[in-house]
Amino acid sequence: MAKFITIGERIHCISPVIKEAMATRNPEPILKRAKEQIAAGATYIDVNIGPAESDGEDLMKWAVQLIQSECNNIPLALDTANQKAIEAGISVYNRTNGKPIVNSADAGDRISNINLAADNDAIVIALLSKDGIPKDNDERMLYCQEMLEMWMMLGQDPTDIWFDPLFLVIKGMQDKQLDVLAAIKDISDMGLNTTGGLSNVSNGMPKHIRPIVDSNMLAMAMMCGFTSAIVNPCDTRLMETVKSCDIIKNNFLYADSFLEM
Amino acid sequence: MPFKSSPQKFNAAINTVEIGSGDKKIVLGGECVYPLYAFDAPIENKPVVGIEITDLGVETFADCIKEYYAGATTLGEIAAKAAAAEGASFVTLTFEGADPIGENKSVEECVAAAKEVADAIDLPLVICGCGNNEKDVELFNAVSGALEGKNILVMSAKEDTYKTVAASAGLAYGHKVGAESAVDINLAKQLNVLIGQVGVNAANIVMNVGTAAAGYGFEYVVSAMDRIEAAALSQNDNMLQMPIITPVGSQAWGVKESLVSEADMPAWGPQEDRGVNMEVCTAAACLASGSNAVILRHPKSVATVAAFIDALM
Amino acid sequence: MALTGIEIFKLTPKKNCKECGVPTCMAFAMKVAQGAVTVDKCPYFSDEALAKLSEATQPPMKTITVGEYKLGGETVLYRHEKTFVSKTLYAVKVCEKDPNCEEALANMGNVDYERIGERMYVEFAYVNYVDNKEKFLELVTKAKEAGKTIILGCKCPEVAKEALAITGKDVILNGATAENYAAMNEVATAAGCVLGVRGENIDELYDTVAALEAAGNKNLVIDVTLPTIKEAFAAAVQLRRAALKEENRTAGYPTIVDISNPKYAADATMQEALATLFTMKYGSIVVMSGMSYAQALPLYGLRQNVYTDPQKPMRVEPGIYELNGATPDSVCALTVDFALSYFTISGEIERSGVPCNLLIPDAGGYSVLTAWAAGKLGAGSIAKFIEEADIENKINNRTLIIPGKVAVLKGEMQEKLPNWNIVVGPNEAVQVVKFLRDL
Repeated sequence: MAKFITIGERIHCISPVIKEAMATRNPEPILKRAKEQIAAGATYIDVNIGPAESDGEDLMKWAVQLIQSECNNIPLALDTANQKAIEAGISVYNRTNGKPIVNSADAGDRISNINLAADNDAIVIALLSKDGIPKDNDERMLYCQEMLEMWMMLGQDPTDIWFDPLFLVIKGMQDKQLDVLAAIKDISDMGLNTTGGLSNVSNGMPKHIRPIVDSNMLAMAMMCGFTSAIVNPCDTRLMETVKSCDIIKNNFLYADSFLEM
Repeated sequence: MPFKSSPQKFNAAINTVEIGSGDKKIVLGGECVYPLYAFDAPIENKPVVGIEITDLGVETFADCIKEYYAGATTLGEIAAKAAAAEGASFVTLTFEGADPIGENKSVEECVAAAKEVADAIDLPLVICGCGNNEKDVELFNAVSGALEGKNILVMSAKEDTYKTVAASAGLAYGHKVGAESAVDINLAKQLNVLIGQVGVNAANIVMNVGTAAAGYGFEYVVSAMDRIEAAALSQNDNMLQMPIITPVGSQAWGVKESLVSEADMPAWGPQEDRGVNMEVCTAAACLASGSNAVILRHPKSVATVAAFIDALM
Repeated sequence: MALTGIEIFKLTPKKNCKECGVPTCMAFAMKVAQGAVTVDKCPYFSDEALAKLSEATQPPMKTITVGEYKLGGETVLYRHEKTFVSKTLYAVKVCEKDPNCEEALANMGNVDYERIGERMYVEFAYVNYVDNKEKFLELVTKAKEAGKTIILGCKCPEVAKEALAITGKDVILNGATAENYAAMNEVATAAGCVLGVRGENIDELYDTVAALEAAGNKNLVIDVTLPTIKEAFAAAVQLRRAALKEENRTAGYPTIVDISNPKYAADATMQEALATLFTMKYGSIVVMSGMSYAQALPLYGLRQNVYTDPQKPMRVEPGIYELNGATPDSVCALTVDFALSYFTISGEIERSGVPCNLLIPDAGGYSVLTAWAAGKLGAGSIAKFIEEADIENKINNRTLIIPGKVAVLKGEMQEKLPNWNIVVGPNEAVQVVKFLRDL
């Protein structure tokens, strides 16, 4: 089995520092966060430029080239609702260390991102939702089949569509957590890959509790076959959990120093 | 419809490590395919064969090996003869005589022996200790210093000795470091991490992951190497991408099949044939499992295994 | 191996016609994978897709039986993934053109010994035909009389027919080629024997196998002896990989490789190297020009190692092993029945030259410390072994050396075996020689 893939989430336009840097094309804050995340063990870096309706294409190109040229062509997830910006980003993307990820498609308005990813030989994250939160796992699996079918009709490799079951916040939807895990298990049993924004589970919890809850959710998800997550790689506890689970799952050969690797 | 072959070429590769210098230097590793699978992608640096002598010459070796060295009296002459063996790409000098419970030769004597051998050959040199950790640490340090600039491989840095060996041979004198473990993949990996933490660059580390003679628990060797290759190539585990060197001769010539005389076992036939076949079989099995270099004793084995490698490249 | 829903989906017509009662082909495929519906509910599956589906339930590599031997049936590429099932078997080649062929046939039985419960010998006689039919048939008869299982190296259907009349069905007729496969198929099918497929390159081999399969014959082996060693090795690996990793059933047959060709190997030592290679990866039968003890001892030992089940350690039979000409008056030493422990210790004792009765109790096949920790090697079990194996009547000497790692047993053993002098041996095997000599 392959090692668990972590997609670093810290280059996000919701952060004022990043937003400002993107607006002024200031490389420093963006590179700083990219390098921090890579040093902490991120496999992919997510680049969220927000809706970027006016200058998305230019901004995404700039960000992709900036990060890849300074960080040994780290593979990236291109994260925006602006399709043209994603395509522009892919046009300058270096594939040496992995295909780009299109973040993201869903079974509703954004379903055409599946075509976009297929046209550009990219990986696509497919949210198992149409409009809002799926009511149960039957609905999740329906979307899964629908999008998988579309992907395969386009001649794509089924392991290049990563399904996001939609993690739900515990404070409010505690009774739905096992459904999410069951969905991961069902999808994994078909030999498919999964991913998702994990930290949503601990939204609204006290700061010191969040890493604990996130880590435990991650361990349980990995037990169900979860293959990647969009996370903050600078969360030490979380990364230690990822590494430990990789060892337990025999995804990575044990050595006493495994946590430092 | 022709056969559809899917070459198994990985995006990861074994590190390349150079030993020696000039025309005769050897380069271990670099392949991005499983062992000997040159049909999946070219293997630029083919595996190599080394020939072993000791600081006592070949005194303790089987008579049939000594015959090859007839006429060579000094250690230098013996080394030159070894280096001239067909198929030999490097020479290994084992400090058998340094063992405190054996001849207990002094570190100074070992240094003199190492210099004599190094001066007599133009092939790369690999040195092995006597097995006594304290003594080995001392003599590796002295020999590394005396042969500075020769770019030798110092075997071995073990769990108990890696700090000193890596610091002296690897850092102070710029030689290559051999990380030795005994058929334990987790320790093999950990040693690479630890030697790296001492400051030795991954490109200067070679692994000796241990072996056994064919028939003597060799299944553990096969599985250890299979799993190392899989981790290195299919999981791109860069703490296991060091090339592998395997001292086969000492194991192959130490088992009953190679030791018993023909007089004691007439049905088995000449001892020489048995020892050579044990050495060749074990070496071929190691190469098929992932060794980038094997160390042998009998010149016939050296020539055969070198020809075997060539036939597959 | 069952197909996943996704693999089945790839075979569906992808029309989403709903005639099966399910909204989409994907949903239908998922239901088929779960066993909820059968594939015949879809009227549009192509014959090719149906054949693939039924093939998928077949094992990835066929098991071919020749007399008492089984070939192939492997499910993994590496032993640590599970275990290898059918060990590599060896053949010696005799050719009617060789003036010494009868001697070679007679010498074939020279190697015959037992190692850890396994009989080691040359399993097959490969009898080769060039153009002298009488001589060939005579050799076949001799090989049959000698009780060997035979591989007939013969590309001529008429001669093969006559040879098969002598041998009966428990042979491999190694001689189907791109040119003659139809005729050879008839001969082999009529006789009910395994047919070997030969060719000049892997594509030709593969095509001939496919043609024979189309003619209904799946009782095949593939001869990967190609013009060079590199091609032969490539074919052996690629076919096995295609069979196990890509579900290519046409590649999933056992292989034969003939390394006796002087172009491959200049001498017997080179043959040893090549036989080793194909024992490791992935020859079902290795054909050599002869088998001496010098070649057999390492090769059979290696094979025994590689083909052990990783879940079950190799064990030696409990009992008394008299080493270095030990007599009832020689000292006794004890270790466990884990084969590796036995070999290491017996090797060291043999190196010491000291006559010694090595006692092996039933310790569950574990190493010394593991056996002790698991309660399989204790004072009680050792005392019981000494009683049940009647050691006190068979051996006069009353000194018993126990492994240094279980020195803790000394006191209790001394109590349970009051007539004995229990001596604690060294911790490591390498110290055994010195220990025994100093005793």
